[in-house]
Amino acid sequence: MAANFWLSSHCNQWLLDREEIELERQRDYQYFKEEDYKKFHIFFINFIQALGEHMKARQQVIATATLYYKRFYARNSLKSIDSLLMAPTCVYLAHKTEECGVISQSRFITACGAVVKNKFNFAFPGDQFPYRMTQVLECEFFLLEMMDCCLIVYHPYRPLTQYVADLGMEDAILPIAWRILNDSLRTDVSLIYPPYQIALAAIYMACVIQQKDCKQWFAELSVDMDKILEITQEILQLYELWKSYDERTEISAILSRSPKPKVRPTSATPGQTPSPVPPES
Amino acid sequence: MQKYEKLEKIGEGTYGTVFKAKHKETHEIVALKRVRLDEDEEGIPSSALREICILKELKHKNIVRYLINEGIEDNKFGNGLLAKLYFSVREARGIPRPPDFDNRPVHRVHLTFLLHLLRLHDVMHSERRLTLVFEYCDQDLKKYFDSCQGEVDTAVVKSFMFQLLRGLAFCHSCNVLHRDLKPQNLLINKVVTLWYRPPDVLMGAKLYSTSIDMWSAGCIFAEIANGGRPLFPGGDVDDQLRRIFKVLGPPNEETWPNASKLPDYKKLLVLNPAQRISAEDAMPHHFFSDLSPSFRA
Repeated sequence: MAANFWLSSHCNQWLLDREEIELERQRDYQYFKEEDYKKFHIFFINFIQALGEHMKARQQVIATATLYYKRFYARNSLKSIDSLLMAPTCVYLAHKTEECGVISQSRFITACGAVVKNKFNFAFPGDQFPYRMTQVLECEFFLLEMMDCCLIVYHPYRPLTQYVADLGMEDAILPIAWRILNDSLRTDVSLIYPPYQIALAAIYMACVIQQKDCKQWFAELSVDMDKILEITQEILQLYELWKSYDERTEISAILSRSPKPKVRPTSATPGQTPSPVPPES
Repeated sequence: MQKYEKLEKIGEGTYGTVFKAKHKETHEIVALKRVRLDEDEEGIPSSALREICILKELKHKNIVRYLINEGIEDNKFGNGLLAKLYFSVREARGIPRPPDFDNRPVHRVHLTFLLHLLRLHDVMHSERRLTLVFEYCDQDLKKYFDSCQGEVDTAVVKSFMFQLLRGLAFCHSCNVLHRDLKPQNLLINKVVTLWYRPPDVLMGAKLYSTSIDMWSAGCIFAEIANGGRPLFPGGDVDDQLRRIFKVLGPPNEETWPNASKLPDYKKLLVLNPAQRISAEDAMPHHFFSDLSPSFRA
């Protein structure tokens, strides 16, 4: 009965089926193709990463914010709430739930503005961050409600360090596997698989890259290797996508094709934004 | 908010007000905890987020339908048992406890089975206000004792005791000790806390383990089974020890007439703390064997 992953809301309520996720996305696929949909979310997860780093948040906060973001759009169309509002809201909420203290509202909005302007100028040329804090706070509630208040999430980083210690290959494996986990945030694996499996997949990939033999170790673990390979496959797809994709030149076109909420504010009319549309049920 | 009709105010704290309320259609009685959202502040307050987090995770564990009146009656969440549990759940994810974790006093909270049963139903949001909707169950053990005039139904003893053990088993599995367990409505003065204190602690033991709570649970067990009469109502530390040794000295039916009727106070009330039974091990005891499976789930 200990406090652990198997008894958590994450395990019991938020490990989703791939089919379920894909079904939900059909609505958005009407507007742009599946690959664009992926690139769209990769972009906003990059945004979360950049905003988190700008605010000097720990990777744990960034990972939690990313999972919140993924959960929201796993159950909602892109038309429900603008990702440019949802992404920072996830960071704002994760910063609190990960006990990193309260961020002052002005500092937060300034940070959002700075990231849009300095890091993502290629996507929002000449634009400013169009939202105000009242909208972030309102969005925070929709996010909380849509996640059914399941705020405690588990990440693969901790199982990773434990497994790697057991494997006795900290130096060779850990840095690469850790980076693979960071990359995996841009895939759906955290919505579908328990964190320990994702950690094992990262170790598996790192071993292949470093040409370390870990067959025996995996065999003794008696884990479902099919799952590990599925995860590996999905992360490899991400690397494949990155090979031939330049976000800086292509994202504008993707954003313009993407399904949009009914009203999206511009920098000229920030005060006129209505509340985010409640999630469609 | 239109869904519920407010009946009475049952608590007021630093970050909100608690009402007893009735669902207009289903007539279900709930507790509404209103959290004011101050626009200049942080959005949903961290304290409310913590409460939501932990109640959500506990609910999923199916363990406790729940046994803590903290949070509703006492808004000092930061010092409470819920807070301790919250940080323990987080610890399971690799996040260190706050530095002052072990110094945080738990004694303001009473793990009790008399309770306003807490189970988070719903969270509602309206302008400037967040409302947590809790299951509400107004089972007051004291009232119950009064109504049955010293004769307590064994089924009730079982159900209370099992809930208490289940709650303790969970706390202990999280490495959280309660350390000051007692029936809330016996909280009259300082001396009272002595009554539930195990002999090892009375004799000056500084190293507590989960067995400290199990002793208290044993005292409470005996007390509710005896219609609310405390088992060891000592006047001071010496008197307390005398009373315990008087009862437990040679542990047989002669010195403890109720022992056969109420099995295994004895296992809880073991002088040597190392040999005291754990909550987890106490739950499968045959005393609870006729509790319905749904209750155990």
